[in-house]
Amino acid sequence: MTTTPAGRRTRNTLLGWSFLLPNLLGFALLTMVPVALLFYYAFTTWDIFGGAEWTGLDNARQLMHDAGFWAAVQNTLYYTVFHIPLTLVVSLGLALLLNKRLRAVAFFRTVAFFPYIASIVAVAQVWNMLFSPGYGPINAVLRAVGVDHPPGWTTSADWSMPAVILVGTWREMGYFMLIFLAGLQTVPGELYEAARVDGANAWQRLWAVTLPCLRPTTFFVVVMLTVNSFKILDLILVMTNGGPGQSTLVLAQYIYRKGFEENQFGYASAVSVVLFLLCFLVTVVQFVVNRRREA
Amino acid sequence: MKRRTFAVLGAVTALSLALTGCSSGDGESGGDGKNTLTLAGWSLATTPEFKVLADGFHTANPDITVELKEYDPKNYDTQMIADLAAGKAPDVYVQKTLKNFYTYQNGKQLLDVSDVASGLGSTANGLPFYQVDGKTFAVPYRQDSWVIYYNKALFDQAKVKYPDASWTWDDYAAAGKKLTAGLKTAGSKALGIYQHTWQSTLQGFALAQSPGADLNSGNFGYLKPYYTRAVDLQKAGAQVQLGDATTNSLTYQAQFGKQQAAMMTMGTWYIATLLSQQKSGDADKFEWGIAPAPQADKSTTGTSATPVTFGDPTGMGINPKISKDKVDTAKKFLAYVASADAAKALAGIGITPANTDAAADAIFAVPGVPTDEVSKFAFTKHDTKPENPVGKYTAPLQNILNDLHTAVLSGTKDIDTAITEAQDRAKNEVLNK
Repeated sequence: MTTTPAGRRTRNTLLGWSFLLPNLLGFALLTMVPVALLFYYAFTTWDIFGGAEWTGLDNARQLMHDAGFWAAVQNTLYYTVFHIPLTLVVSLGLALLLNKRLRAVAFFRTVAFFPYIASIVAVAQVWNMLFSPGYGPINAVLRAVGVDHPPGWTTSADWSMPAVILVGTWREMGYFMLIFLAGLQTVPGELYEAARVDGANAWQRLWAVTLPCLRPTTFFVVVMLTVNSFKILDLILVMTNGGPGQSTLVLAQYIYRKGFEENQFGYASAVSVVLFLLCFLVTVVQFVVNRRREA
Repeated sequence: MKRRTFAVLGAVTALSLALTGCSSGDGESGGDGKNTLTLAGWSLATTPEFKVLADGFHTANPDITVELKEYDPKNYDTQMIADLAAGKAPDVYVQKTLKNFYTYQNGKQLLDVSDVASGLGSTANGLPFYQVDGKTFAVPYRQDSWVIYYNKALFDQAKVKYPDASWTWDDYAAAGKKLTAGLKTAGSKALGIYQHTWQSTLQGFALAQSPGADLNSGNFGYLKPYYTRAVDLQKAGAQVQLGDATTNSLTYQAQFGKQQAAMMTMGTWYIATLLSQQKSGDADKFEWGIAPAPQADKSTTGTSATPVTFGDPTGMGINPKISKDKVDTAKKFLAYVASADAAKALAGIGITPANTDAAADAIFAVPGVPTDEVSKFAFTKHDTKPENPVGKYTAPLQNILNDLHTAVLSGTKDIDTAITEAQDRAKNEVLNK
């Protein structure tokens, strides 16, 4: 039995590694290695059965002329630009609403959170039926209130993306509401008191006290929303499968198509790198902006 | 103390290695003995064909056993590709779609079985689709073809004459409208036609029947008459809109089986499904028949001509990683699945075998299968083209044409614009790569 400090340090290090290892090893083998390989495959013509021929920038060059790819980029940005602010506002609104002493507040919080844990396939199926242009209840209501030509929703190129954004917001609002609720608990009550003494109304209290205090939370939510929006796939796959035409084709789905449907894993990797860079770039900008505001 | 730490460390490492799938395993493809073959299949509980073939082969060769390995039907090719790449795939595996045959063949994942093919002669329909540069890489055991299914009761109700072998697509469309009107008068909610959501419902026929049509040419003008007709039928209310079919996840089995539509075009695989669903109660019990697929023009109609239709074969190929002493056994199995005996066994469960001639009597003996002259003609006589050519451009071109399909049938784009756009995309994204 050694009890020298050096011996203890080694022991602690080893012990630490033994705790880390099970997860770290799995993460390294199943996530890190494939991700690192992806950057290599992006410059090859890999088609899964060997044959990863190095083609340099050929994939990138082809991307430039690939209308399908650009449509996917455009649609992903479309989704992101509308989904982030909408979800932010809705989830913050819900959090403010459900932060009050209401009757059955726990019930309403559960209701708002429920979409997030419901199975996405079932949810998409039900929304698709609700949106159904001919027989769906949404259009039935619209017609009842006097809209003669209600939108075709998921069956129309102009309305399919708004429909997906609506469902995406509905699904994620509960989760981010929960995070905002947690953030709201950290706002000191004294600040509200002081604001009230100064004669600030509810609106001014929100602007001057709540929002500034929530900035760390808001920042976290925005970053999460950005990443979630860029990699949106499941909802699109089950709701519209990218259609009609290419109206809801997004980058993640384009990667899936090129890789798993057309077996062009090299090219799919190149698109993945673009998606990665896009996420990376936007997140870095967000971090820089946030730091500047904090300073 | 230290020793114990290392023991823990070692145990944890071993455990995590095992958990992450890095345990040392042999790369041999499955099967223990020399006399055991492994065969891939999907949905074994509801797809009896694999067991029928395995059992039939075992009866003929009692010393050889065929073991089935189950895959998910929807992700069959993805899973199979992963298993092949990992060296874990079964000895013999199914070519579920012709579209992916190229991936396997080009990826050198199929053994040359030309010797088996030469022994079959011309009895197996669909065999040429599996030939590349004069070599054969898979053997078909079933060959489905698209036909018209029609509901005799609904036709009677609408007072429309049953389809015979003389129909062109215009006749089909006219009958669809007449049926819809007749059924409405008779107080039925059923429509004349159900066209399923797949792109093949129009593109398969267009490619097979249009003279000079070639997917790889990048000229898709041949699609126009087919889409114009379908859009018109949707507008006239004679068939469900594509959007309503997708948003409500309509299944063709329920649309025809529950008598929501008087007729539809579908592959012959539906015969077996319809029979079993009528038995189980998933489909209504009504009298139905099949008729040859509608034709582009009169030149291929009538019982003296051979109707042109499409349909892909389903074949079996051998995993090149099979152990050497089992190759002959696997080839013997391939020869069996394309044989007349196997064809009869398959027909007995309502499946259309590649060797159709040998099986015609067997399938019409199955209770519930329509035995009128037109049905028999539709089942036995046709010139069946593949849904798509075998080649490296097929999968990406199919994706582009599927975008065209949903855009046109949802009314988002007119057919001319959509064709121009698809041709541009085909050129830029696929053909001039």
